[in-house]
Amino acid sequence: MEVTETTNEGLKREFKIVVPAADIEAKMSSRLAAIAPTVRMPGFRPGKVPPKLVRKTYGKAILSEVLEQTVNESTEAAMTERGLRAATQPQVDLVGEVDAIEEGSDLEYTVAFERFPEIEIMDLASVKLERLTVPADDARVDEALDRLAQNYKESKPVETKRKAKTGDITVIDFTGTIDGEEFAGGTAEGYSLELGSGAFIPGFEDQLVGASVGDQLQIAVTFPEGYAEELAGKDAEFAVEVKELREPSPAEINDDLAKRLGAENIGELKGRLKENQEAEYKNLARMRLKRDLLDILDKQHEFELPEAMIDAEFEGIWNQFEHQREHNPEQIDEDDKGKSDDELKEGYRDIAVRRVRLGLLLSEIGRLNNIEVTSEELNRAIASEAQQYQGREKEVLEFYKTNPQAVQALQSPIIEEKVVDFVLEMADVSDREATMEELIASPDDEAEEKKETAAKPKKKTASKSKAAAKKDDADG
Amino acid sequence: MSKYSGRTVTLTKEQMYKVISSPLITEKSTVITEHNQISFKVPLSATKPEIRAAVEGLFDVKVTSVNTLRQKGKLKRFRGQIGKRSDFKKAIVTLAEGDSIDVTTGV
Repeated sequence: MEVTETTNEGLKREFKIVVPAADIEAKMSSRLAAIAPTVRMPGFRPGKVPPKLVRKTYGKAILSEVLEQTVNESTEAAMTERGLRAATQPQVDLVGEVDAIEEGSDLEYTVAFERFPEIEIMDLASVKLERLTVPADDARVDEALDRLAQNYKESKPVETKRKAKTGDITVIDFTGTIDGEEFAGGTAEGYSLELGSGAFIPGFEDQLVGASVGDQLQIAVTFPEGYAEELAGKDAEFAVEVKELREPSPAEINDDLAKRLGAENIGELKGRLKENQEAEYKNLARMRLKRDLLDILDKQHEFELPEAMIDAEFEGIWNQFEHQREHNPEQIDEDDKGKSDDELKEGYRDIAVRRVRLGLLLSEIGRLNNIEVTSEELNRAIASEAQQYQGREKEVLEFYKTNPQAVQALQSPIIEEKVVDFVLEMADVSDREATMEELIASPDDEAEEKKETAAKPKKKTASKSKAAAKKDDADG
Repeated sequence: MSKYSGRTVTLTKEQMYKVISSPLITEKSTVITEHNQISFKVPLSATKPEIRAAVEGLFDVKVTSVNTLRQKGKLKRFRGQIGKRSDFKKAIVTLAEGDSIDVTTGV
């Protein structure tokens, strides 16, 4: 095997590799000899086909296999010989024709790739970070409790005689007719309708406002276009009798409410809320810590980045952005709306550069410190993923079982987390109490902040679309 | 001496292709290539002089002798019905020393 370097620019490398015909011939014969005993051909007993005939029939297929294998092997050998690691998939270009190689000429090809950059990892012990801890406070727990109570509101009959107003619940009997004839689904008795909830066709609830108990009224409405087929666009009359008027009231905060939520008493409920809150704060604090760490790593490391990787990353971000712009433009950041495409592209390019740099850095730290994902952790990740699809866990598990690529996709965030954990262990992390506001707000300079926020929602949509795709797969 | 000895036939190219239906490639036919013999499947109506002329004309070789035999088609049953594969004639052609035909490449 002969290797000559043709390009050596920055991270780009290109080699010309020549493999002598004899090597390929030797591999071919051994492969042919391996399959010969199993070949079936009319006119011959199985395995008795002469080698010449075997070569004639299967030679082409085997040659391409052998070539692929040789190319892979020789490329790898060339790389290890020079101590290089490829950051991108090597681009292989055959110089001659495959037919010529079959006739006994040398295999000659060029391979181009970008090598993994030399990364000098900073002294991780010198990283100084602050972990913000926020104690759960009772005021917030009470607030959460109030919100819960709101969600579990009850209604009680209005005691004083008064007219119905928006927000009230009316208990009504109604009979609906179109052109004097009753229609399916247009009749009910003792129906509880919250005024202003929009549960009925537009106009219906409005006309009930001002009615009092015992009233009988005629309500004329028009079914909107796009309603059930027979009804769409038709005028209907409803004869309505108001039976009862109730007003909603928030549930009282007491043991009863606690029991409805599955806790023993109010104290336990509060305790649970507090736990939730603490967990939430902890999560936030960790995210914050991780972000700070990544910021530091990003700033402290400067190395050449493989352009192809940046391009690919940028392409991904941009496609996602375009997709979003087309399908749900309301989700786009306010800041981004006024910008021209070029400005946006520049901004996203910066994000791509940052992501590639951090990605390479984290994987390098992981590699140097032998951080790997165990199958146990992988299984746990799959299980937690499955839990997000309540009731269809099996399908999700099945999906991961049949799609090793999807499992691969789960792997990288785990590695990232592990590496971050590892670095945090090495780093000098001090604890400091802080308030909720401090935790949420970012002390960094504006630009850094913007970058982050721009990057974050992207990531979210990415996982969402993935989840959607998964659903589709599971359905199919 | 056979009744054909000394007779020569002249065939057009088209007729030659008709005389040689296909090469016979089997274990047995591979073995006889050691003796510089090649076997073909030919129509039942083909005669030895025709085969000789056709092989010489198509492959540009010298034929020393032609042996033929009629291979009866096998009786085959399919869903209880009896069917018969058609008969064919095998021709075993001996080439002059030094000549050869690569039967697998086709004409």
